Amino acid sequence: MNTQKQITLQTRIAERYARIVDNKDEFSRSINQSLKQSFRINSLKGDVEKVLENLRKYDNSISPADWYGNGFTTNLDNLGSSVEHFSGQIYIQELTSMMPALSIPDVNESKRIIDCCAAPGSKTTQLAEMMENKGEIIANDNKHSRLKALRGNLDRLGIINTTVTLRDFRSFPNTNADIYLVDAPCSSEGTIRKKNTIKRNLKEKDYDRFSKVQKGILNRACEMAEKGDQLIYSTCTFAPEENEHVVNSMLEEHSVKLKNINIKNLKMGKGIKNWKEEKFDSEIDKCRRVWPHHNDTGGFFIARIEKC
Amino acid sequence: MLVLLKKEKKEKLIEYCTERFGISEEIFEKYQLYEGSKNKIYLIKELLELKFTPESSGLCIFRFDKTPKPTTNFLQLFSAVIYKNILDIDEKNLINYCKGYDLRMHPSSNKIEPGFIAVRYNNIIVGCAHWDKITVRNQLPKSRRCKINYC
Repeated sequence: MNTQKQITLQTRIAERYARIVDNKDEFSRSINQSLKQSFRINSLKGDVEKVLENLRKYDNSISPADWYGNGFTTNLDNLGSSVEHFSGQIYIQELTSMMPALSIPDVNESKRIIDCCAAPGSKTTQLAEMMENKGEIIANDNKHSRLKALRGNLDRLGIINTTVTLRDFRSFPNTNADIYLVDAPCSSEGTIRKKNTIKRNLKEKDYDRFSKVQKGILNRACEMAEKGDQLIYSTCTFAPEENEHVVNSMLEEHSVKLKNINIKNLKMGKGIKNWKEEKFDSEIDKCRRVWPHHNDTGGFFIARIEKC
Repeated sequence: MLVLLKKEKKEKLIEYCTERFGISEEIFEKYQLYEGSKNKIYLIKELLELKFTPESSGLCIFRFDKTPKPTTNFLQLFSAVIYKNILDIDEKNLINYCKGYDLRMHPSSNKIEPGFIAVRYNNIIVGCAHWDKITVRNQLPKSRRCKINYC
């Protein structure tokens, strides 16, 4: 019964995006394969090479991603029960989830970053590590229940440059920052290669519901940003309603422009120019789509926006 | 609501860290120390002034009642600069420690003084315990207790 349900879900996604993916057969094959566990080494808690050496005693096939030296995959599925995880030397994280932080070209200790939808803290802790625990991060989430996981991860990884706030970002008071990260809640279709992560009976109206929330959050970040500030918008879904459509709305409503995203050795597709009846701004092709069959990852979408 | 830690309390805390764990006092020059509710001491890079009260800031490193009590998070973060009152444990004791059990062992080194100690496995400080010359009492918070399969 479960297998039947799963086939239906994969098939539905393969069919929905057949027109916009570069190789529909490869895409369809890829989303039917399970994903290896991936993790990041937290250099704030130990020497990367030393931690890696210890981890390879459990699995000597551990290897780095081609496009990120600090992102690794393992054939094990429970590194969460290792002493390295307990002591905060590693963080279990999807490879795609590591991409937004890498798409910001100048993360350093002089920056203030607001992670608008931060829980459980994957990107916040990655950014804090990239900033060497300096600079300032505001990690916000709108659900109290999710803050426990966020706080727990910040503590475990030894993060001290972060302030945790509890607000619906759509009503977040004006706060200056250099970088606004909007990793928005979404239909999560891109996590289909993981077990039991996405809603099995997604309906068309669900895309519009998510889209409305995403526009509200990104709109607030665009309002707050000042000239030259960067905004990173990301989702883990394939749905153009939650991706290009949302970014296109910002191009229409705010004085913003899209910037190129370059992550060395990572194969990425361009943002699509139209979907159903809607045509997007020609700039939209600067958005980046990560398709599962390109890098053997989940699916992801990233846009880098600069306030003008 | 966090308030800047009073000078005398700060000096007392740094003195404790230096004497108890051998942590150099220069380490603290890079940070600010704040006191929150329940006598908790927070290590913060920079306290932000926001238009509303945040849920938390920085890392809770001590509880300062009559005497300072270090947190597991503090000892783990400063693992590389802790030189004194360290208890090295083996794989079996690590598994028990992470489950929250007290350790049935006597520190072999007489350099370990009664009081809070840093528990170390394979050159990594994994957390805090209390040694009273009889028992190594586990100080791991319930939220951090877990089953270890790989060590």
